[in-house]
Amino acid sequence: MSGLNRMYSLLLHVYPRDFRREYGPHMRQLFRDRCRDLSHTSGWRAALRFASHIAGDLASSAVRERASALWSAARQPGRRGFISEWAATIIMYLFAATTVVQAYVVPTGSMEGTIRIGDHLLVDRVGYAHPGPVGRHILPYREIRRGDLIVFRYPEDIRQTYVKRVIGLAGDRIRLENKQVIRNGSRLVEPYTQHVSPYTEPYRDNFPLAPDAYTTPLGRDMLAHHVENGELVVPADSLFVLGDNRDNSADSRYWGFVPRRNVIGKPLLVYWSYDAPTEDLKDWNFGHVLDVAEHFFTRTRWDRTLLVPRSEPAQELP
Amino acid sequence: MAKARPREDSQPLTPPVFHILMALADGERHGYGIMHDVARQTAGALQLGPGTLYGCLKRMLAARLVEESDERPDPALDDERRRYYRITPLGDRAVRAEARRLADAVSAAIAKRLLDTRKPTIAGGKA
Repeated sequence: MSGLNRMYSLLLHVYPRDFRREYGPHMRQLFRDRCRDLSHTSGWRAALRFASHIAGDLASSAVRERASALWSAARQPGRRGFISEWAATIIMYLFAATTVVQAYVVPTGSMEGTIRIGDHLLVDRVGYAHPGPVGRHILPYREIRRGDLIVFRYPEDIRQTYVKRVIGLAGDRIRLENKQVIRNGSRLVEPYTQHVSPYTEPYRDNFPLAPDAYTTPLGRDMLAHHVENGELVVPADSLFVLGDNRDNSADSRYWGFVPRRNVIGKPLLVYWSYDAPTEDLKDWNFGHVLDVAEHFFTRTRWDRTLLVPRSEPAQELP
Repeated sequence: MAKARPREDSQPLTPPVFHILMALADGERHGYGIMHDVARQTAGALQLGPGTLYGCLKRMLAARLVEESDERPDPALDDERRRYYRITPLGDRAVRAEARRLADAVSAAIAKRLLDTRKPTIAGGKA
């Protein structure tokens, strides 16, 4: 209980200073009262409802109090409060926008079947960000597992952001045999994958082999140093990732491992999915704006709106 | 024509403000007491969180609809001191005006047959 109270006290810093000084103690008191009420009614559903209620209350009333603080500061020019209120608000916005969630659009089809071209994603940047020894007890952090979807910086060019599925963790032995992944000797059943080509390509579908024309320098480095007995061995602090659209995906097979520090987060939600060609999604152009204005209702994939892309562990066959 | 009423009386109140004033209509309460009473008035539909409640109280204090009473412990709860609030004459006028306005709106809705005024029956029972 005291941990919860401490956390609530910390969260009160989202309010303007004057408001916090005046009402903070009373709000903490009310929060304690509500917690005590809750402890009489057991059940995690009630706890969840309470938590989301408190979060909603914090968010909506903090925005309102900040706006009103800005408004009253603006009417008293020359006061120090004006600058500090604006600074605090902007910093808080930047923190929320860049730290907690970030929006991305997916322009290519390597995860087709799970994530489609034109999906606009919210990415949770907290879940996989290592919070250190103290933070890990209060933040919703968890280790990356096999089958998780991750968003990360592309190792060959960190300005690009990719989304793929984690197939191998450090120490895992990986190979592909006729399009099937064999991990640590077990054949994986992966219901989330799709295969669009009936043909088998040597490197793509029977991996690892000698590099082919598409293998990048980092991919060649991986093949040169991390293959043992015809299997790829994932080194420490690295991940082996594949696209769900397995026959048409540039992934770890071609450009090597994802260093753990390149991981940004996990896809949280598809907030909007719009049927548009890759080039329009990559570079925002005026034609695309017109296209959206004209076809918003017909080309929005309504069935994908608010969809949650799932992490799915593959079944392992002996 | 009716004489123009003072502005603060004729302005519609937001639901939280209206319910907080109603909670204070029959005596002083502290924040937790207000929250409880509002939940009871609305059959749990309006749960005031700490931020919403104290944000409203701040604005209501500024508008002189309520005033701070003193800080004292609530014998029914624990030994903590709590700040009590009470309604002002202006707040009393405002809540009465709002109740009147809502009642008028309800009468109009009934006249337009938008509201079912039959007594509720037990679900599944014959009317």
